[in-house]
Amino acid sequence: MSNLEFERERPAAPRVVVVGLASCFGCQLQITNAEPYLLDVLGQIDLRYWQLASSDPMPEEFDVAVIEGAATTAEDIETLKAVRKKASAVIAVGACATTAGIPGMAAGNVEAGAAAVYGEAGAPEACGELIDPAPISAYIDVDFEVLCCPIDTFAFIDVLQRAIYGSNRLPQTATLCGECKHNDRGCFFGRGVLCLGLVTRCGCGARCTSLGRPCNGCAGLSPDANVAAARAVCAESGVSVTAFDEALQMFNYVNPALSEASEE
Amino acid sequence: MRCSINVDHIARIEGHGNVHLAIEDGAVATCEMNVVEPARLFESMVRGRTFSEIPYIASRICGICSASHVVTDLLAIERVFGVEVSDRTHALRELLIYGSYLQNHATHLFVFAAPDFTGHASVFPLATEAPELFNQALALKALGNELCTKVGGRSVHPITAVVGGFTSEISRDEYLALAEKMEAMLPFAEQTVDLFNSFPVPDIETAGDMLAMVQEGYYPVCTSRDARFVGAGETFDADDHEAHVEEYAVPHSGALFARSRLSRKPYMTASLARINASWGQLGQRARLAAAKAGLRPPERNPFRNNVAQAVELVDALDRCAGIARRLAEDDSCFAGSSEPVPFTVRAGRATGFTEAPRGVLFHDLELDEEGRVKHASILTPTAQNVANLEGDMRVLAEKMVAEGAAEADIRLRVEELVRAYDPCLSCSVH
Repeated sequence: MSNLEFERERPAAPRVVVVGLASCFGCQLQITNAEPYLLDVLGQIDLRYWQLASSDPMPEEFDVAVIEGAATTAEDIETLKAVRKKASAVIAVGACATTAGIPGMAAGNVEAGAAAVYGEAGAPEACGELIDPAPISAYIDVDFEVLCCPIDTFAFIDVLQRAIYGSNRLPQTATLCGECKHNDRGCFFGRGVLCLGLVTRCGCGARCTSLGRPCNGCAGLSPDANVAAARAVCAESGVSVTAFDEALQMFNYVNPALSEASEE
Repeated sequence: MRCSINVDHIARIEGHGNVHLAIEDGAVATCEMNVVEPARLFESMVRGRTFSEIPYIASRICGICSASHVVTDLLAIERVFGVEVSDRTHALRELLIYGSYLQNHATHLFVFAAPDFTGHASVFPLATEAPELFNQALALKALGNELCTKVGGRSVHPITAVVGGFTSEISRDEYLALAEKMEAMLPFAEQTVDLFNSFPVPDIETAGDMLAMVQEGYYPVCTSRDARFVGAGETFDADDHEAHVEEYAVPHSGALFARSRLSRKPYMTASLARINASWGQLGQRARLAAAKAGLRPPERNPFRNNVAQAVELVDALDRCAGIARRLAEDDSCFAGSSEPVPFTVRAGRATGFTEAPRGVLFHDLELDEEGRVKHASILTPTAQNVANLEGDMRVLAEKMVAEGAAEADIRLRVEELVRAYDPCLSCSVH
């Protein structure tokens, strides 16, 4: 054996936990929707905790935490901090975890909203101490994000691989419009129909627009977005600017960049 | 016997819930199903939003029955606007909902419930112990995803279903391919009925009534407006659900509880309720599978919901294969277009009504003249089931205490009962 050959110790499979905060569980389901590849995916990791699929309890030690859902209670913040302390990598999955998503629309109105749903006494004790919904990055550092509502199964597998093998951490920041143009299906604005692809992060393959449905912005506002220019496009195309601003709230309600943009 | 049984964070269900049972002097003193989901406030969140966003927002109540939430909202909105959609659109909606039935029932039966009977913590050991079964179970679930994806654009939170119709459709060949796949899956679904029927379950009778959608001569999931309390024989139109169903808050649950206003009884709504209400309208293969498993009305043991779900798998595959074949024909009742029909926005109030995989689902929407939501009330299946589940937990615990069962056994069986209900606790707090 030459000196150049050496035995590299095979590292132990990373220990992974899956944690769910306020959400529809759809992103966790999307992970199980990897059916034919599920065991190959899980075979690379040591899945230590996944309450949706197993009654094994949460372990004391782990390497990677996959977190779904928005932070909507004081208890969630504690959970997030405890998980962050133990995890060497945190992956936020889905719109709720990355942008506060649909739950974010309750922000600023939690108390009144609870009274409207449950009566004047507000939300029952079992709901926990409600706070304004926020993406998990509001409370802890996030290493990787899987965007969209729901996540794409293969986007999750891609990000999981990056977390496990330590490859590219840089997220895509371009807007959906570029991605959509590849599909050559025409533009909604040409028909006077509102679409949020102008300002929304890319990466989904423009699934909705390919199926005849305008983008609802579930990947969140792109850091490259020029919101003011998008408003001008709306005005030129006969699309209501108010409708654009309102639609943008759905997945960006708590995004500070959006409130800055509307002050411009 | 004196003990307290606490299960924090019941595993293998959707959402977060705990069970608290206190047994004193051989009697069940406390029995609580603690739904610890954070309030998500959908009903207040949709206020002021425009109608076209409502199905999109409301589908985010639940990942697995997102198709049902979408269709239920569309039905409510179209009823307010007076929109008549094509038969083809109706058929596609039925397929979409059944896609989520396949996903839901396969996931619940194999991933959530089966480990109770194989003695494992999860489904994964089955991959090595019974690879054939494991692979077929995953394939069945995948077929549900495929049906949702082909019709709705993706497996969770459909894209193409909008007010008036569908924005996109697959080709005729794809419908035929889907039909063939569903027909090929039928034997496995029939085996699934036999398999779950072979698992021993406690013999108990539910504490409450059952509620399901009914329709003359059909096994309905989104084509009727009539709901029926099976035990009381009380039938009502979905628009009148408030006069028949009462929601109330309890401190230990983030989900509102529900009961029949008339009988004051809690009730179960699920596959088992549907089968009790419409057994005669099941397709022939499903009825045969049910008869073989001894599942026929009245069946009041909530544990049998597992077998009922398996029977519905057979029925859904059989029924959807037929629908898909007709969608591929030029001269069938579903010929024509599913393109969204034009409509005029107007003010009004109506209730959308469907059978979601886990039971009846009502969306009561009041819209203003611009089509914005003035008021919304959403009644999910699990929110309706929790009160009855608590009642049944008590029935089960009392029976087991009387039989002198050990604490560990009671705990296990109670967990199994919770899972047999296939609760979606995140859905229940919406």
